[in-house]
Amino acid sequence: MLKLENLSKHFGGVRAVDDLSIEVNRGEVFGLIGPNGSGKSTIVNLICGVYTPTAGSIRLLGNEISGLTPNRRLVAGVARTFQNIRLFDDMPVWKNLWVAQNSTEDANKHNLLRRWFGGAGSDRDEIDALLEFSGLGGRGGELAGSLAFGEQRRLELARAVAAKPQLLLLDEPAAGMNFDEIKDLAKRIKGLREQDMSIILVEHIMELVMGVTDRIAVLNFGGKIAEGTPDEIQKSSVVQEAYLGKPQDVA
Amino acid sequence: MAIERELFAKMVDFVQNCIDGIMIGAAYGLLAIGFTIIFGVMRRLNLSFGPSIMLGAFFGTWAFLTLNAAPWMVLAITIAGTVITGIYVERLCFWAIRRDATIASMVSSFAIWMQLDEVAILMLPGRTYPFPEMFVSGGLNFGPFFVRAEHLVTLLVTILMVVGIRLLLYRTTFGLALRAVSESSDAAKYMGINPSRITFLAFILVSLIGGVAGYLLLATDQQVTPYFGLWVTFKGLIAMMLGGMGSIPGAIIGGLVLGIIETQTQWYLGNAFKDMSAYVVLFLALVLRPGGLLGQGIAERQDLAFRRV
Repeated sequence: MLKLENLSKHFGGVRAVDDLSIEVNRGEVFGLIGPNGSGKSTIVNLICGVYTPTAGSIRLLGNEISGLTPNRRLVAGVARTFQNIRLFDDMPVWKNLWVAQNSTEDANKHNLLRRWFGGAGSDRDEIDALLEFSGLGGRGGELAGSLAFGEQRRLELARAVAAKPQLLLLDEPAAGMNFDEIKDLAKRIKGLREQDMSIILVEHIMELVMGVTDRIAVLNFGGKIAEGTPDEIQKSSVVQEAYLGKPQDVA
Repeated sequence: MAIERELFAKMVDFVQNCIDGIMIGAAYGLLAIGFTIIFGVMRRLNLSFGPSIMLGAFFGTWAFLTLNAAPWMVLAITIAGTVITGIYVERLCFWAIRRDATIASMVSSFAIWMQLDEVAILMLPGRTYPFPEMFVSGGLNFGPFFVRAEHLVTLLVTILMVVGIRLLLYRTTFGLALRAVSESSDAAKYMGINPSRITFLAFILVSLIGGVAGYLLLATDQQVTPYFGLWVTFKGLIAMMLGGMGSIPGAIIGGLVLGIIETQTQWYLGNAFKDMSAYVVLFLALVLRPGGLLGQGIAERQDLAFRRV
């Protein structure tokens, strides 16, 4: 499904991501964890096209996507949410979803005139289902900017899902959420996995990561120091060292 | 009896001025829409919008003088010339300069303005040239009021174009993408929209609008000078600021208000005060209602301007 091979991103002398290889399978929730500055967000940014890699390849369904612009990558099947929410604040909630449904770069629509100037096709049922999914049923007419923080987060997730991606990148989706909201989010992520969507989850909140992921990679200094199921990761001493430092003899 | 008749005549004058003002203000409104759309999509002022219309009109008048082109041909050539110049401006001072370099691209749009002026002067070295009149002439009488046929055409075309722009922005995929870019080009990028392509198309759209507005204004005046570019940029910017930056209904209302004030001043104070009145009104508006007529407060002004198209 998604294959990162020997991926590197250097900023000057800083090796934000260094020779990293990861494979994510179809319908899998893959967790990326690690201390601050370990390169998690950089990986998300490399996959969705904010950065171009210094070296290495990014393959989605066997196609190299590392040379594509962000808008082409959405068409190729990569959608994301942001750590700091970026909605279209002055558009109604449902129009935020509508935008995601109607990519002008969709090369599958061959008729250019219809792609650009045809009425934007809106699938009302699908939008209603997405609103229901994000717990915003019946509130499609409100302005996105007027929603509460937690609701905006849910809408942003729904907007990414509306683009029907193969791979969904969630960059700290639980930041600023309370316990109930996190439980709610976990339910949504599990729901998406059942729809055969692959998900990469970058998150600090361990309850969420351990609860929903199938596999986890632990990063430190831009490299992978461990990979495995949540159980394996929790038992790994390497991981504990990275987070807590080496246990020292107190004699 | 005599006093009443005098009063009536004054009322007629006043209403007649308002009618003329609305007709000419409609074209101002179109110009302001042009500025508004580019400002919304790019977050930058395109100062050379006026001069590119001027150059388009020079192509039109050149065709009229040398090839004796028919009025509709002049219209087509003016629009095509404006679109070509608009594309040139977009490529040179917006596409080539980084998106976040706001000041740099505004200054370079000013530099291109000079360039376009020079091209126009090279093409037709004199100062003033005749611009062919429209395919209609004469006028209509409504009771004591008179409406010039050119003005009527201006108003009708403006109404049609505003409806068309509205449909384009709210009913098509292109319009949806354009509004998404104007709200957050960053988010739009990750929603399958290519902001630089949208910007390019927005420039073509705006040049089409500008070309039509320029033709309507010039065919009414029946003359064109290289100063037309400066004039258009001023009128468009003032109308946009009057109505409230970044809002299309605001642009129209700003244009109409500007048109009415100008014709009234011209009538009561004379020609010399016509342009000055526009600046006085702009000054007063900026002091009293900094957000424009449709804007809210100064605090929200920038916020609004940066969001709406």
